[in-house]
Parts: sequence; C-alpha cells; structure tokens
Amino acid sequence: MPGSTRASVTLEASAAAAAPRPRAGWRWWGRRFVRNRVAPIGLVIIVASLATALLAPRLVPYDVRAMAPQASLAPPGGQHLFGTDEFGRDVFSRVLVGSRVSLVVAFFSVATAVGLGTTVGLTAGYYGGWWDGVSMRGMDIIFAFPAILLAIAIMAVLGTSLLNLVIAIGIVYTPQFARVARAAALTVRSLEFVDAARALGLGNARIIGRHLIPNILAPVTVQVSLSLSLAILSESALSFLGLGTQPPTPSWGNMLSEGRQFLELAPWNAVFPGLAIMLVVLGFNLLGDGLRDLLDPRLR
Amino acid sequence: MQRYLATRLLALIPVLLGILTVVFVLIRLIPGDAVQLFLGTQVELTPEQMTELRRFFGVDKPMHAQYVDYLSRIVRGDLGVSLRTSRLVLDDILQRLPLSFQLATLALLVAMVIAVPLGIASAVTRNSAFDIFARIGGLLGLSMPSFWLGAMLILVFSRYLHISIGQYVPLTQNPLGTLQSLYLPSLALGAAIAAILMRYVRSSLLEVLGQDYIRTARGKGLRAAAVMLRHALPNAMIPVITVLGFQMGYLLGGTVVIEEIFALPGMGRLVLQAIFQRDYPVVQGVVLVIALLFVVTNLVVDLLYAWIDPRIRYA
Amino acid sequence: MRVRWWMWLVVMALVLPVLPVRAGPAGTTFTIGVDQEVVGLDPHLVTAFSSFRRIDFLYNKLVRYNDRLTIEPDLAESWEFPDPRTAVFRLRRGVKFHSGAEMTSDDVKFTLERVLDPATRSVGRSFIDVITSIETPDRYTVRVKMQFPLASLLSGLASANLSIVEKAAVQRSGNLQRTVAGTGPFMLAEWVPDNFMRLVKNPNYFRQGLPKFDTLIIRIIPDAASLLAGVRTRGLDMATINQGAVITQARRESGIVVMQKAGLQLRILAFNTTRPPYTDARVRYAFSFAIDRNAIVSTAEFGYATVSGPLAPSTQWATPTARFPSYTQNVARAKQMLSEAGYPNGFSTRIITSPTYEGGIAVAQVIQEQLRAIGVNATLETIEWGTYINRWVARDFDTMIELRGGDPDPDRFLYRSFHGTGAVNNFLFKDGGIDRLLERGRVNLETDARRPIYDELQRALIEAAPALFLYTPMETQVLQGYVRGFKIIGNGALYFLEEASVER
Repeated sequence: MPGSTRASVTLEASAAAAAPRPRAGWRWWGRRFVRNRVAPIGLVIIVASLATALLAPRLVPYDVRAMAPQASLAPPGGQHLFGTDEFGRDVFSRVLVGSRVSLVVAFFSVATAVGLGTTVGLTAGYYGGWWDGVSMRGMDIIFAFPAILLAIAIMAVLGTSLLNLVIAIGIVYTPQFARVARAAALTVRSLEFVDAARALGLGNARIIGRHLIPNILAPVTVQVSLSLSLAILSESALSFLGLGTQPPTPSWGNMLSEGRQFLELAPWNAVFPGLAIMLVVLGFNLLGDGLRDLLDPRLR
Repeated sequence: MQRYLATRLLALIPVLLGILTVVFVLIRLIPGDAVQLFLGTQVELTPEQMTELRRFFGVDKPMHAQYVDYLSRIVRGDLGVSLRTSRLVLDDILQRLPLSFQLATLALLVAMVIAVPLGIASAVTRNSAFDIFARIGGLLGLSMPSFWLGAMLILVFSRYLHISIGQYVPLTQNPLGTLQSLYLPSLALGAAIAAILMRYVRSSLLEVLGQDYIRTARGKGLRAAAVMLRHALPNAMIPVITVLGFQMGYLLGGTVVIEEIFALPGMGRLVLQAIFQRDYPVVQGVVLVIALLFVVTNLVVDLLYAWIDPRIRYA
Repeated sequence: MRVRWWMWLVVMALVLPVLPVRAGPAGTTFTIGVDQEVVGLDPHLVTAFSSFRRIDFLYNKLVRYNDRLTIEPDLAESWEFPDPRTAVFRLRRGVKFHSGAEMTSDDVKFTLERVLDPATRSVGRSFIDVITSIETPDRYTVRVKMQFPLASLLSGLASANLSIVEKAAVQRSGNLQRTVAGTGPFMLAEWVPDNFMRLVKNPNYFRQGLPKFDTLIIRIIPDAASLLAGVRTRGLDMATINQGAVITQARRESGIVVMQKAGLQLRILAFNTTRPPYTDARVRYAFSFAIDRNAIVSTAEFGYATVSGPLAPSTQWATPTARFPSYTQNVARAKQMLSEAGYPNGFSTRIITSPTYEGGIAVAQVIQEQLRAIGVNATLETIEWGTYINRWVARDFDTMIELRGGDPDPDRFLYRSFHGTGAVNNFLFKDGGIDRLLERGRVNLETDARRPIYDELQRALIEAAPALFLYTPMETQVLQGYVRGFKIIGNGALYFLEEASVER
C-alpha cells in the first residue's frame, strides 16, 4: 500500500496551521465550498457511500451468502447486475454489503489514529520536555516500519478480527497525526496570547481546549480525508495476504483478492469491487483536496 | 552544519534500537512455533527430539536472554542465521537488497517522469479542463491498488502483446535483462507514486509561482520556460524530494504483492515469508536494514534541505 | 519536427520489453515454473510436496512408481522375498553418483541406516521402521530383515524420502541441504533461492540416452496467473498449476496443452474426536450424508477432482464411492441422525481453514453453506499457514480442512492416519476394530488376501468417520505443445521429464 501521504502531507498541513484562522460565518464557508468545484463532488460521493452502507441490507437483491453452483461465474446482466462469483453468489449484493466493512474499517481506524495521534502530539508540543522527546521517538519508530509489515505483524499477533484490523491500521497511521498536532501545538504555544492566558491563571486544560484544538482542526481534517482512502487500500492489501476480513463476509478488499484469480475468466469479480474502492477513495481525496484549498491561508 | 549532522546521527540510535526491540518482541508474540513450522504437518517427533531441535535453533532460552544475545551480536555485525534455511541472514539480505533497491529507484524514476511534466502543465493551466482532468486522473492512479494494476499489466502483456516477463537478472550480469525484468513492476508501482507526486509538484509549484521573485524574473524579461527551469522548478522540487524520500521505506519492504505477482525475489517476499514462518532472525534483520536505509535516506534528504536552506540549519 | 533528446528516451522505453536478452546456455534448455521454493535438498529431511519434486531430479530410489502407478525398478534391478520377513534387492551395476564414484550396496545400507537413525529425524523412518537388519553379502546385493512382513515396504522405498545417497559424500559434508550426493538425471549447477535453480544433464546417468536436454531451469513464480502467462509466452515450457480458475483459462487457449490425471492427495474435513459433539460417531457420520460432494468439486475445484473415500479412486484398492450409502446426499437422514444423537436443532461449530491451497478456504465456504441445511451453524476460522500448522500439531481444533498426501499402497496412508498409534492421527481417533484391520492389512503380502481387509476398512472408516472424506484433486501440468514425451504420473512427481524433449 502506498506509504504515500503518510507523512508527506503533514508538510502542507502544518503550514496550514501556521497562520491563525480568521473568524467567519457558515455561509461564507458554504459559498467558498461550493465554488471550489471538486470538493462538493467528493462530499456527494461520500454521502452516497455512507447511505448505501447503512441501507445495504435492505437494498440487496440476494443473500450475500447464498450459493448457487449452477450459476457459478455468470457474466453481468440478466438476473445478476454485476455477475456472480465462483460459488454463484451475487456480486452486486456483495459489493453493497462489502461497503459496510470497508467504510467501518476506514472510519474507525482513522478515528483511532486521530485519537491516539492528536493526544500524543498535542501534549508533546504543548508540554514539551522529556515527554516530547520520548513520544516523538516512539512515533519515529512506528513510522520507520514499512507500513504493511507493521500491520501484518500486529494482525498476526492479535488475530484476524474486525477490531484487530481497525487497531492495526489505526496504529500504522498514528504518527502523522501526532506530527501534525505537535506542529500546530508548537506554533500556538509560542503565541503571546497563550502567555497572557497563563498569566491570568487559566489552567492548561482550558488553554488546550480553547486555543489549541480549534487551530489543529484544519490540518487534521485534511489529513483525515487522505488517511481514510489509505485505510481502505490497506484493508484491501491485508485481505490479499489473507489477514483482512474473513470469508464468507464480503469486503471490497477480500473480493478483490479472491477475484484476482478470475481476472481472465470472469473479470467482473475483481473489477466491480475495484471500481467501488476507487470511487470512494476518489471521493475522500476530492473532499480532502477541496478542504485543503479552502483552509490554506496562502491560497486565498 | 556539523552540529546539525551530529545531532541527527545521534538521534538515529534510539530510534533504531527502538525498532529492533519492537520487532523482537512483536514477532515473538505471534502464536506459532518456528520449529514445528519447519517440520510441517506430516511429521511427528518425540518430545526429546523437539527439545533438541529447539536448542539447535536457539529458541529454548527465555526471551530476555535471547534479546541480550541478539543485541551483542548485532553490534558485531552478526545478523544471525535463518531458522529455516540455515543461511546467514546478512547473505540473504545482501542478495535481495540490490533488486529491491533497483526496483525502488526505477519506480521513483517512472513516477518522476510521469508526475513532473504533468504537474507542471497542471499548475500552469490552473483550474482549466486539462488541470481538472489531470487531477482526477491522478486521484484514480492513487486509488487503484498497485497489485491490481500489476495483474492487469501481466494480463495485457502476455495475452495481447505476447511479451513474456523475464526472470530477474542481477545488474552485474546483464543490465538489459535487469531493466526488462523490472519494466512492468516499476510501471505498476510508479503509477501510484506518480499520482501522489503530481499533486505535490502542482501545489508546490503553484505556491512558488505566486512568489515575488518569480514576478521579478518575469519582469526582467526572462522567457516563461527559463523562469520555470531556473527559478520556479528548483524551489518547487524541494518538498517533492522530501516526499520521494518517504516513499523509500514503502518501496523497500512494502511491495510484497508486486513481488509475488512478478516473481521477483525481493526483500518484501523475504520478510513476509519469514513472518509467516516465524523465522525470527530474518525478520529482525530485514526490518533493521530497511529501517536503517529509510532513516538514512531521509537524513540525506534533510541534509540536502538544510544545505539549500540556511534557515533550517540554525533552527 | 526536430528530434528532441527526450524522444529517444520514449522510444527506448517503449521498445525495451521486446529487446532480446543475451542468449541462454548452449544446448537445449527446458524451463519449468513452480510456485514454491524448497528449503533444503536433503532427501531424508524434506517434507513438503514441492521439495519432493526437486529431489526427483537429483536422486534415484531403489524402486519407483511408473505412470500406471505400479512399482518398477529404479536403482534396484530386481528383488525377491525369500520369506515374508526378508527382502533381497539386486542393484544395477555401473551406476555412478554425480561425483563419479560407483553406487554399491554400501551406499544403500548407509542410506537406510541414516533414515532409520532417530538422530536424523527423517520422515521416512516410519515407512521402514520394521527393518531390523541390513546386510550386504556383496557389492550389488542388499538383504533386509524385518520384524514382521510389511506389504507397503516397496511403496515406502519408492518415496523421495528414501532416495539413495552417496555414503562418502555425506561423511564429507555432513549435511545434504546444500550439496547433492545423488545419482539422478540432473546435477545441481546453480541455485539462487526464490529465483531459480539451474540443473545440468548428468552425462553418466544410468538410463542410456536420458535426459534428452542439457539444462533444466526451475523458476519460482508464486502466482498461478503469472505461471500461465509464462507458459503462454514461452518463457516457461511447463508449469504445475493447481488453481482451478487458471486451469480453466489454460484449457481455453489454443497452443497450450493441459495434462491432467487423477491424483493421490486426499481432501478431508478432519474432526477432533475428543471434542463434543464430535465425540459421537453418529454426528460425524451425519455430516457425510448432509453434504453434496459433487457441488464441492465443481465449485471449489472447478470440476478438476474426483469424489473419493479414504483411498484415492485411481488406485486399485478403492471401493467405488457409489457403494457407500452416505455418498448420496440425504439431508433428511442426516437431520434424523443428529436428532438421535441429541441435536435436533443442530449446533454451532468452527472450521479451521487457511488461504493457501492446502488450507482449502473455498472448500470450507461450500461446506459451511451446505451444513446450514441440517442446522449446523459453522463459523470459519481463517488463519495464516503458520498458525494453521501450529493448531494442527497442538490438536487445537474442532474441525479442520486438510489436504493429505496419499499413496498407491493403502497401508502407508491409512496406518499413519487412523491407527491409534498413527504418526499423523491428529483426529485423536481410536477404534480397536479398525486398528486390528490395519494391522492385518499391512502384514499380508498377497493382494488377494489384502483386498477384503481394505474393503472392510474403507467401509468402517466411512462409518466411524474420524474425518469427512471429500475428493482427490487432479494433478495438472500446463505445457507448450512442443514438449514431447512427458508422462504424468498422478502423484505430482516429475521424474519422467528425463524422457521429455522439446521440438520447437
């Protein structure tokens, strides 16, 4: 899976955090959002995927586990919109239900990464000292591992359940959130109004809550949308190696890997889940791009 | 400059030590017995034979004893012996490292060749139809799993073009053969990276083009192409190079699936098999080497950065 | 249009794949593709199917199986049994090891003793552990005395694990994992692990005129679709493929020949007979009625397998499966049996499987679906291969999908798997009646006397059901039409490549 934007995006994201955000109303943001042509497309795609995932059980024409050996590897059309797999199961239904797993893994693993990463990063940047040194070395260690190997090792230790998948992918993507949060915290910490607030006797918690968190919102949001797409690709790569979602539960990742052996015989097995992944990842990226263009003070 | 270099080098040590420790513990936490795996399912041994085999493999001592033992040997450059094949781990790594390195370099090259011109064109024609098209194309490249692209390439090349994927030949033996065998895999890998790079080239260039010194250059009467080549591009490429550095870690160890599909004996497959076989010394050795290469690469990139931009040196 | 420097680069990039690389070794070369690398080359130590294939090229045994699955001479020219407990082998004369030294009875004695020695930890030991003494009355005769008569002796000696090694070479190097001390048709020239192995023709091979080509290259290509791509483009002359989807694709292509033969491996669903509800034989037997084996074969193996009982149908010992009542699907009867055993509403259970071919994940899914019909709710536990082996050894499973290696002789497989003391009896199954049948079957050397025993055994094993016997996958080799003379055996062995030639 691409080690791509694991840390690379944090460069810009940190830059975005550097400038203080002016106060502005929702309508102003809304208008800018729509004027940026790509971001709304991304939003539409995401909302549609979420809706599909939620409503999947009601939308599926076939039971995802029902096997029909006589209809094995049927091409798309007729009774089966996307064709069938080697067991005769309906690919369309499986793609719909598969969205649930993929989106759950994506959202919860990124949530884990955000939770862990920003906590570590914020405290490291704000309090500094030995905690800063130790925690950032820890993040460096996680970061220096090739991502897929770390995920494989964690899954091998914990076992192949959905929860463990979320934990493994979450841990892998924690370092970049830590860095982003820390960079933002460092910038804000040095601003004068923080000294003033402290002089007034405001506790650290309030300072963090009132001043730091709003300022890291921008870079973290950008990072989140990109990490979501990477998480989906990670699930697919792990399923390929037999460590992701277990059959017979469908997920786009394991449909892709199971379908690869039929690439010549029955390409629809791998093509449709692949397209689904690409569409959702595209949506996340468009949204992320749009948000970045929106929030980056230098491009205004 | 020396002080910067020294501090950075010093900071490497705890990180490497940490990585080693994490790998050491992690792989031993995986349930499974290296010895039994070596024997497979169809074999039965008496308990005495198993104990003896364990001693032979060196896995009978408690974990902390093994750890100390291992550290002391690492310091002497001894990476140990594979539990499965009894070959020196260092030998295995040195045999596969060139391939992984060559593949990584070629993939990055492919990525640059695709990304830089497209990124420039995209930035220059900002928000035009071409720009949007290129960006969406880039995003598609980003979203497509590289192993998928790899499998499609093999299909197309073998079925429709009747060109075979050759077996990997080391560079010293036959450079042409090496290039041929790495042709498709570097395309598959490079495409995804190109997509990412293109975004950075574009945004970085946009930022640079908005700077005052560019306006000055144009004001001086320099042609657009010269402005681009002499002023804009070099400055824009700096963050791009940083990104390239980050890709190294992924490319050195994370390309397992591409290696499987294209039958390349690289480090990804080596370490994956080793994890599945609980071949502790190999996993430890490979991860250490990859991490080392990764941090060194990034150190070099950072040094380059610092050398170019004096502000960072004295931060 | 002026020709720019970068245009040259583009042209080169496009042309690169088709440029001819430097020519290969002089003489004829045969390239085969396999999907697994071997760990070592010591014939007495290897255990994986893929390792046996490699050993076949480098070593010979006393006897071997031919493509009709009957025993034929290899290094032993003839043999006789002066009494049921004695076997005398007369060796071929003038057979040379790769080192040039002649093979004599000393080497055979050394080989057998090495395999029997517990310190060697050889798998082959259990095949011949009835041997009590080995004598070498002269340079070309070996006399072996056994504790009791063993019908499967020759079958055991035909195993790759009993390959004859050169005594002097072993004494020199100690370990044969990296060095070869054999008499085989090919010699090891170069080995780049996980990439390829290059073997060259043995000029002194005892079969005159063989092998027919000078160099054999074995390439490791883990992915089945890539193996087919290799054969298709003639980068490979032949490949062993076991993925049904890829085989089907290969069959549709003109120019590619697909050779298939009934195999000897057995796919089973293993029961842990010490864990409820599998402690009750009725529950286990009920499964046999509940499933539809033909559906499993057509979906999981694309039809490239034969429904099978405890013995592979290609052997002369197998009872036709139509004679077994439980091989006709009867869901009602299955439910009734479960009811009688105390599970009228079925129960929940777990099936262990693995993504590798041996782990049979497709089979598991089909069985899981079929079991729903009798109220058995099975959850699949898909674990990676290392953990799978671990659980197998620790007997930590309820049910498990396995692929077992079979044999033309019924004793070798059945005894180790189902006897109370059997080496690979991880069903923890113990049945006195079956034990006695197994013991009687193995000491009787006459086929006619053994046949009724094994008929009875098959029936008993299906009813006692320590495992659910499913099918025997076919052996499939995919090759180019210009390969002539290769004979497929059925147990996956490739030693008949020595008779193959390429006519391009």
